[in-house]
Amino acid sequence: MQETIRFVFDDRIVEVEFSKSSRFKPTTTVLNYLRSLPMHKGVKEGCAEGDCGACTVVLAEVGSNGKLVYNTVDSCLVFLPMIHGKQLITVENLAFLKEKHKVLHPVQEMMVATNGSQCGYCTPGVVMSLFGLFKNHQNPSRETIEDALTGNLCRCTGYLPILEAAQKACSGTGVDHFSQYESGVIEMLQEITANTETFKKKRGKQHYAKPFTLKEALLLRRDNPTSTVINGSTDVTLRQTKKKELLTGIIDLSGVEELRHCSETPDGYIIGAGLPLEKVRLFSEGKLPALHAMLKVFGSLQIRNMATLGGNVGSASPIGDTLPMLIAYRAKVKVRSLAAERIIGIEDFLTGYRKTALNDDELIMEITIPKTVAGTYVNSYKVSRRRDMDISTVSGAFRLTRQQETVAGIILAFGGMASTPARAVKTEAFLRGKEWSRENIEHAMFILSKEFTPISDARGEAEFRNTAAKNLLLKFFIDSNVPDPVPRSSD
Amino acid sequence: MLHQQPHDSAEKHVTGESVFIEDMLVNSQLLHGKVVYSKHPHAVIRQIDINEALAIPGIHAILTAKDIPGENQMGPVIHDEPCLADKEVNFIGQAVVLIAAENEEAALEAEKCININYELLPAILDIGAAMAANNILAPARKIERGNAEAALKSARHVLKGELVTGAQEHWYLETQTALAIPGEGKEMQMHASSQNPAETQQIVAEVLGIQKNDVEVEVRRMGGAFGGKETQGNHVAAWAALLANATKRPVKIHLFRDDDQIMTGKRHRFLSKYEIGFDDQGLIQAYKVELNSDAGSSTDLSRAILERAMLHADNAYYFPNISITGQAWKTNLPSNTAFRGFGGPQGMAVIENAIDRIARFLKKDAADIRFLNFYRNDECNLTPYGEKVENNHLFRMFDKLYSTSCYQNRRQEIEKFNRKQEFFKKGLALTPVKFGISFTTAFLNQAGALVNIYTDGTVLVNHGGTEMGQGLHTKILRIASAELGVAPEHVRVNATNTSKVPNTSPTAASTGSDLNGMAVKNAIDTIKERLARLAVAELTANHPGCSFHQENITFLENCVFDKEHPAYKIPFDQLCNLARLNQVSLSATGFYKTPGVHFDRETGQGKPFHYYAYGMAVSEVMIDTLTGAHLLIRTDIIHDVGDSINEGIDKGQVEGGFIQGVGWCTTEEIKWDKDGNLLTHSPDTYKIPTINDIPKDFRVEFLHDVPNPGAIRRSKAVGEPPFMLALSVWLAIKDAISAVSGHEIEPDFSLPATGEVILMSAEKLFYRVV
Repeated sequence: MQETIRFVFDDRIVEVEFSKSSRFKPTTTVLNYLRSLPMHKGVKEGCAEGDCGACTVVLAEVGSNGKLVYNTVDSCLVFLPMIHGKQLITVENLAFLKEKHKVLHPVQEMMVATNGSQCGYCTPGVVMSLFGLFKNHQNPSRETIEDALTGNLCRCTGYLPILEAAQKACSGTGVDHFSQYESGVIEMLQEITANTETFKKKRGKQHYAKPFTLKEALLLRRDNPTSTVINGSTDVTLRQTKKKELLTGIIDLSGVEELRHCSETPDGYIIGAGLPLEKVRLFSEGKLPALHAMLKVFGSLQIRNMATLGGNVGSASPIGDTLPMLIAYRAKVKVRSLAAERIIGIEDFLTGYRKTALNDDELIMEITIPKTVAGTYVNSYKVSRRRDMDISTVSGAFRLTRQQETVAGIILAFGGMASTPARAVKTEAFLRGKEWSRENIEHAMFILSKEFTPISDARGEAEFRNTAAKNLLLKFFIDSNVPDPVPRSSD
Repeated sequence: MLHQQPHDSAEKHVTGESVFIEDMLVNSQLLHGKVVYSKHPHAVIRQIDINEALAIPGIHAILTAKDIPGENQMGPVIHDEPCLADKEVNFIGQAVVLIAAENEEAALEAEKCININYELLPAILDIGAAMAANNILAPARKIERGNAEAALKSARHVLKGELVTGAQEHWYLETQTALAIPGEGKEMQMHASSQNPAETQQIVAEVLGIQKNDVEVEVRRMGGAFGGKETQGNHVAAWAALLANATKRPVKIHLFRDDDQIMTGKRHRFLSKYEIGFDDQGLIQAYKVELNSDAGSSTDLSRAILERAMLHADNAYYFPNISITGQAWKTNLPSNTAFRGFGGPQGMAVIENAIDRIARFLKKDAADIRFLNFYRNDECNLTPYGEKVENNHLFRMFDKLYSTSCYQNRRQEIEKFNRKQEFFKKGLALTPVKFGISFTTAFLNQAGALVNIYTDGTVLVNHGGTEMGQGLHTKILRIASAELGVAPEHVRVNATNTSKVPNTSPTAASTGSDLNGMAVKNAIDTIKERLARLAVAELTANHPGCSFHQENITFLENCVFDKEHPAYKIPFDQLCNLARLNQVSLSATGFYKTPGVHFDRETGQGKPFHYYAYGMAVSEVMIDTLTGAHLLIRTDIIHDVGDSINEGIDKGQVEGGFIQGVGWCTTEEIKWDKDGNLLTHSPDTYKIPTINDIPKDFRVEFLHDVPNPGAIRRSKAVGEPPFMLALSVWLAIKDAISAVSGHEIEPDFSLPATGEVILMSAEKLFYRVV
């Protein structure tokens, strides 16, 4: 058992302990850790909920190809043990001294040259997102740049100079002084990760466990049935940062490599519960276009680098964006305890408002999405106040199986319309067996507009939700008949 | 190139070295300050029990209204805003109790144990309810010309309507913050995130019951402000000062994001009613408008904001007969406050929407109606308040923009697109801005500076303006560097400090560079005169055969010389050293007041503005009528900044101001529940624009060769005017919705045009058309 965590920071291995005298508890966020250090106050708290990106840092880890992989994350959402075995890079690490002169990193240099900063408060976060972009893309498209930066709110510039800085800074090879020291960093990281003993720490009322193998994870789950299971923790952390709740028991699965797989089989696609959504997005490209499109407008890159599909399924939020999608795909959830394994259909898995069929000794292993047969068409839609980095007001994921022009099978799954992701069963029943025609769709829209009784809240009024929901069906109908309609305004 | 010099803090920003208050390294005695606020919009405070909380380890002070040593007031203009609620609370978020604790955990623990017993009272939560209860903030004001009533009666066509414009949260990245450090005796040193350090100093002195000369306020930089820290930065400073005074230890308050959104005021919501009369061509004969603003629970700057809304009800158009009425209403919400544009956007939105309606009614292009009604050069150039519109660039801008944006062609393409598409619709709109520059409260148009030059020839500039990201210090640096003829690297602009430059005005109303730039120049002129005299003496002594004259002395490229004898130069640093040896002062204060600005609030007449800034924009959008989503396809802007002091910084103001306006017009909706709780209290539900919300094609150009005669280095203010160019996006969305009915029916519309507004409005048209 390890009682401390270790990571590479400022070119060396840093060890943090959580004894009573320590300033840090296991759920201290990386943001608060950094801000307690006199030399790392560049990182800023703008919202403490992963919406603004002022706290963006980069985590580097050894990838499957043996090279370092650089990922941007919102440090306000990351607990310290989650960076164990990784390299933490902050804005202070980018520039370096050469013969007593400060040399700015290309992304910093371009931010200065384009007037990319005004008040400067969001700037350290923006710079780190640009650094992530610099390390991962050469000559990125505007879309790629936008995607890398939607998680960074700037209230001053109007973003145009930042866009320009990104284009100019990332036109080269991505080689910088980090490239030079990569092998040394890899050695240090391997030294840390060679020890796979579970990290466990009890401090006051809080006990935190981070296993590195599935077996250990299942044991911990059996022995601590009331502990909260986290992986990316993009949802659970908010209970601490926003609601100021003390998180007592935590099982952190972010170190369990066995949950981070994905593969294609003849029948379908298997996605590990612990695979970050950004990896799911990349995997789904060309395979599961509707899922891919939905993940493009899911959170920000910083969030997708942490959040997992297992987390989205496990939290069972009525507005969890992937859930209607998984219903439309007829996905299956594989869960496991020390003793047994079960496979549950997604709809049976989601039992109520933030409730699931998961037993308190089980963990979600993977999600399987069966391949669709010819004649089946799946698509998804999201209605939100803002296109990116916004939770949907209404989302719809639909599946149509046609025999000639007749509806042989239909799934109309919605988020934001009820206390759980829900299917429009009456509307489905009406459509089933009927001709897939505009006339029938318009009739179905009328039924659909009465089928749910959604709430009115900050995101929209009930009437808006009902109207949007029925319109999404029409949109699906149009898209199902035109393979490539007018570019969706969400593209 | 100096014109493109980056922000003076840019390198510090990108390396994380720039120090905000939250980053300051204070000693280990620093305490964490927390504000406990009202959870009710209107209630009597029966009792406050703090005893249990006081017993919690790590708690150093818990203060209520009765513990305030000075005056329990922090209203900036009218003293109607208690620092801590005493007998009554008037909005959710109103400060009631202050806590100073070792750390955040202890403060949170103490907050839970504080028991405030309220007796609930009925609350007024919107303008409608305030009107019904006749809950006015101050008597209505009027600006009139001609006879609007009579002209409306005789007009060929009259349109009548109402427009609701929404509130807006500033969403500065750095929430309200202050650090108070007690000194010896009664001294209190403040680090504030305030656009108005002089007023922060005054409020801190007042609540502590001490003299102003005991309070020093310093502002290094703010992490954004946008008006939100013009008065409301004072609040958090006053609270921190009270706690520091009580504990005799440094205390910092840095509001949590949600608390900031809940506690602080926003852009005023307006409910406006109008009647507009016009002929068959669309020439407007009469405009009658009633502007009603939601002031919130106290005055703050609401009167001045309403006044600016009234002074911009005309925007860029001449109305022979006009009647503008303004009325501010009190509600049980946080006191609404300054926000970029300061009422201007609310006033302009009404007339721009009315003109849009005229165009639809007459089946003409709205751009043509706008052109027809612009202020002209030789006639029809008098505003309703009697100021002449001078140096009018509207026609030049229109011609240029109409052609560079390919307006006509795109209009036709859009019509084709809209005929073909059932559910996607495109829209296009051109809108102008004419924005008056000066504080309308005339005495505020003044500024001070203190310039110190050291014997090594380096320059330290102090002035009354504050840096909130707008690049003021960078412009001041360029002004000082150009005026003294020294390289910019030898000039530094100091943090704003009330002990260096006293009794200043807020950095607001876009006047920061105009006023402070002139004051700095004035100080430099004083020093230059002294140095010129010295230079003549020195040159004469060194070159006995020549005659040197003080009026010929030139400061250029780090040297001083007589322009008649440019070969004989004295290096600037050498001259500065000589000054000390010759007992000549190298330090001077400077002062400036804007000439000729006056306005009579009773008659609604005067010359409130030193000059006008002009801008114009064309925006194109596409909406999805099935989801309400919109896409901003392209925006072309042309803007007037006079002779720009720094084009890079001015461009940043135009782009940033415009995008902030786009937020106000589209995604930024503030909602309260029926009990007055703010629903949109975090970025989770309050949505400012992201990088993906800016125009996919975004072109910003300046109007060239338009020097502004009355301002520093012939430049023009730029902070606020571009905000209102975003009305082009708002009206392009309306144009797109209107396409659903083939422009036959006036769509339901309000501001912001959220997805919900777009969808529900389009939906209604579908059913009326079908």
